[in-house]
Amino acid sequence: MTITDPSRPAPRFVRADGPDKVTGSGRYTADLTLTGMLAAKFKYADATHARIVTLDVSAAKAMPGVFAVLTQDDVPDVKFGPFVQDRTLFARDVVRFEGEIIAAVAAVDAATAQRAVDAIVVEYEALPVVNDIEGALSADSPLVHTEWAGYGGVDVLVRDRNDASFASIAKGDVDEGMAAADHVVRSRYVADGCHAVPIEPRAVVAQWEGNKVTIWTSTQVPFDARAGVCETLELPNSRVRIIVPHLGGGFGGKCGFHYEAHVAALARAAKRPVRLVFSRREEFVAPDRRREGIVYDFETGVKADGTITARRVWLALDNGAYTADAGFFSQLAAMHALGPYRIPNALAEAHLVYTNHQPSGSVRAPTAPQTCWALESHTDEVAAAIGMDPVAFRKLNAVDSGAEGPSGQTYGEIGVQQCIDAATAAAGYGQVLPDDEAIGVAIGWWPSFSVPSGAYVKIDGDGSGQIITGAQECGTGAVMTLRQLAADELGMPAERFELVYQDTSVAPYDMGATGSQTLFNNGRAVVAAAGQIAEQLRNLAAEQLEASPADIVLADGMASVAGSPDRGISIDELAGIAAGGELLIGHGSGIPPGAPATVGSSCVGDLGMSAWVAPQFSCHAVRVKVDRDTGVARVLHVSAAHDSGTIINPIGAQGQVEGAVLMGIGQALTEGTTYDDQGRQRNAALLEYKLQTCADAPPIDVHFIQINTPDAGPRGAKGLAEAPNVATAAAIANAIAKILGTPVRQLPMTAERVWEQLQGDQGARS
Amino acid sequence: MSFAIARTIDEALAGLAAGARPIAGGTDLVVGARHGKAPLPDDLVAIDRLDELKTVTRTALGVSIGALVSHHDIETHPLLTSIYAGLADGSALVGSPSTRHVGTLGGNIMNGSPAMDTGAPLAVMGAEVELRSLRGTRRVPVEQLWVGPGRTCAAPDELCVAVHIPAPPARAGSAYVRLEYRRAMEIAVVGAAAVVTLADDGAVATLAVALTAVAPIILSVTGLDALVGLGVSGAAAAVGEMAATQATPISDVRASDRYRRHTVGVMARRAVEAAARRAGGETIAIPVNRAIGIGAPS
Ligand SMILES: Cc1cc2nc3c(=O)[nH]c(=O)nc-3n(C[C@H](O)[C@H](O)[C@H](O)COP(=O)(O)OP(=O)(O)OC[C@H]3O[C@@H](n4cnc5c(N)ncnc54)[C@H](O)[C@@H]3O)c2cc1C
Repeated sequence: MTITDPSRPAPRFVRADGPDKVTGSGRYTADLTLTGMLAAKFKYADATHARIVTLDVSAAKAMPGVFAVLTQDDVPDVKFGPFVQDRTLFARDVVRFEGEIIAAVAAVDAATAQRAVDAIVVEYEALPVVNDIEGALSADSPLVHTEWAGYGGVDVLVRDRNDASFASIAKGDVDEGMAAADHVVRSRYVADGCHAVPIEPRAVVAQWEGNKVTIWTSTQVPFDARAGVCETLELPNSRVRIIVPHLGGGFGGKCGFHYEAHVAALARAAKRPVRLVFSRREEFVAPDRRREGIVYDFETGVKADGTITARRVWLALDNGAYTADAGFFSQLAAMHALGPYRIPNALAEAHLVYTNHQPSGSVRAPTAPQTCWALESHTDEVAAAIGMDPVAFRKLNAVDSGAEGPSGQTYGEIGVQQCIDAATAAAGYGQVLPDDEAIGVAIGWWPSFSVPSGAYVKIDGDGSGQIITGAQECGTGAVMTLRQLAADELGMPAERFELVYQDTSVAPYDMGATGSQTLFNNGRAVVAAAGQIAEQLRNLAAEQLEASPADIVLADGMASVAGSPDRGISIDELAGIAAGGELLIGHGSGIPPGAPATVGSSCVGDLGMSAWVAPQFSCHAVRVKVDRDTGVARVLHVSAAHDSGTIINPIGAQGQVEGAVLMGIGQALTEGTTYDDQGRQRNAALLEYKLQTCADAPPIDVHFIQINTPDAGPRGAKGLAEAPNVATAAAIANAIAKILGTPVRQLPMTAERVWEQLQGDQGARS
Repeated sequence: MSFAIARTIDEALAGLAAGARPIAGGTDLVVGARHGKAPLPDDLVAIDRLDELKTVTRTALGVSIGALVSHHDIETHPLLTSIYAGLADGSALVGSPSTRHVGTLGGNIMNGSPAMDTGAPLAVMGAEVELRSLRGTRRVPVEQLWVGPGRTCAAPDELCVAVHIPAPPARAGSAYVRLEYRRAMEIAVVGAAAVVTLADDGAVATLAVALTAVAPIILSVTGLDALVGLGVSGAAAAVGEMAATQATPISDVRASDRYRRHTVGVMARRAVEAAARRAGGETIAIPVNRAIGIGAPS
């Protein structure tokens, strides 16, 4: 299906949260005001690697209007981290990146809090800064964590000094494969780190009542946030409640546990509610959620007929100063570096390297866009080496239904080949273009995450429904789509359902708005919960209509007897009857599909990323124009074809792809963090860190390849929040390389880098 | 700490004389303060309600543009988008639609940033600024107004009330071109404005070029007299080289000096080419950036 096809208009779908957000009546965390509320401010390290010699908060504490000043001495001495327990809430003894928190202040207002922060005295003894990803792996590099060996961590992680997580995927015999090749192509690529940049800088409000704390926070993952508070403040789940008001975007940047514990600790010490609101600069510098920079060395062996005989990849990811959720990135990057290709002999080795940069963490499709950019640029180089059209080369080597992928997983029905056909056809691939324009093509993939999740559904006496879900809406519309699933299950209009989210003390567990998993897992839970009510309704209707429950059909707000549409009763009426007896309440979770098998490969540092349940595939074909005089590249047109399974909410799905493509254009051309010689960000502001704007958006054609994926989510849906962010930068790169005659080997491919490439090229010719 | 709203120019001048700073749209002053560039002045006098400073008047000598005329007004004004198109090119590139509705011409030039987008067009057009204080009124050529980054020769008690631009001769055209990494919310990495007058044979009769963001102030390219009599493409190419040579750009996170030096030459060449096309009677839509080079539709 092509949802832009005018003969099949997308069904109307009004987001339940849309009117609130559009009219401004919706409340975000920073809008909350509680009686007696104080303002929080943090004292940041600023130094990127230093030993704290003096930390004196006495002047700050003595200032009028200051209610609390906290350091690591004031909270439990707990080391935390989902993969490696390598950090504490506040710095203890050593600071390791500029945005590390040393102290926190709660005061009557933000200005007073800031003055108190400025009055905190810190003296440092400088330590050598680890500023280079590859250099950090050398034997004589200074260590970011001298006590790394003593840290707790997930058992399967392979750690060594600055290497926080080594992973490899090996299949066949790469040396033999290379020897059998007619050509061996080697390429090196470097991707700079970049950022999620949600429009809403994060905010946290905490209030204690007795020994229980309620925390309103702009998180994508409320249950994760609760777990973090409980772990670091040593509280049981029962005493911590997380509520998320409207969330102003996340893009992964608000995954994980961040400042909820700091603010809760301040509120407890101050005996007042406390609110933290980040500035844009803090949003850039402090959270442990930055898209990781990566260095790549690729080597691919290929026969003259185009078949790949072997691939070897070495890559190193910038972990930053602490291991947030990046522990599994090495294995994930290894998979993306091998790519959705049939490769008989493969070896990918990936290191997650500590540096004195801001920590990395999940940003929309972590590791994927930059790794796809590197791999797909390399792929065009491989195709060029044997004189083959890059699209034909991909058609030949990409995986397909029944084929075996690089880690030995054999796929059920998948739509990658159809994606290539659809995207290239829509782009007019092959047409003659002016010599400053070209169409670049790239394919990408992304896993579905199969995890536990829960929801309740209830129907009140008036026939209106509520979905009480643990899922978190971060803007994708996935939670909004849950209404459709419940409604379809019960034969009711979606508008009859209210959504109740997000409150950890009200709803059952869900992993949150992360890993494109909401529809896949919580959708399954809602269908299961609604199914229980459907059964109740059928039983009730059967009694009323003197029929068998098996013959009752729920549709259009009615319960009717199959085959005799005039024998029916409205669901509203049944709800009224139920209200006087057994209430209509369903709960659901469902069983998450298990991990698929891999055959013939071996993985070191295996965190379950080598085989993917219901994988999602995409192909982007992008027409680009380059101004040779300045190196400025403009994207003129994007065709994006996606196999994300069944599309339940076409308007929402199209929006996901459009937004992700625009984000991908930014990653390709203008968004990249640069560091000074101390590892501080040089462009931690929106003037210097250039997002794409609406004025830059090209026409985007969206195509969905809807096929019958085994082990998918409800009705065959997979996920769509991250997949469309994977292949855009890669496709742009291949277009630029065609125009220039050589690839730009660093991401983002800024105007100046493109221009420098042209200069170098000219130099080589003259 | 005080904030006064001036109802008349005299009230504004009295406020300035008492030490207050004027605030027009606030898009430089307030945004700069929020970013920690400079704290908000202790005393402010808001001039944004002085309607007499919001007019565009055709005079015997040219045009007078009130200091409070917004970039949006400039980019849509029939006179300014035709005869003074280079200025409209500059205003049309400022920020976003909202910035252009709020930001003023007076604020742009009095803020004195070397990256301001109306500075180079005004310089090549030979504009003068009218400065008024309780002490009197004087006119200063814009090129003398700017004395350093963020600094003008205006005394603290002087209010900019208008910008006067002389009418261009026959067969003259102007254009302003800016390097853009994206199409909105951009700040000039480099830019260039040109006014070109054509002789009857199509050769260049007069030529003025000024550069944005490659020196501490808007930089007027010198030595252009030598190019009089050349054909447009020859003159444009020569201007490009002269611009690149005369620029003294810095390296920062936006671009290296090497890249700025090269691209300002490209911008200067394109500005001359576009100005010459307009001088020849061609209408190129505002802003010229969208019609030439990378901006051109395919
Ligand atoms: C998002 C954004 C994007 C922007 N993009 C651009 C851009 O692309 N190009 C560009 O050139 N600028 C840009 N700017 C800067 C700014 O919008 C312009 O310089 C604008 O013209 C300033 O006008 P204002 O009225 O807002 O000035 P204000 O902020 O009110 O004043 C600026 C300075 O001038 C002084 N001043 C103002 N009026 C007078 C007067 N009549 N007499 C004496 N002194 C006066 C003030 O005291 C202050 O020092 C941008 C700003 C923002 C916030």
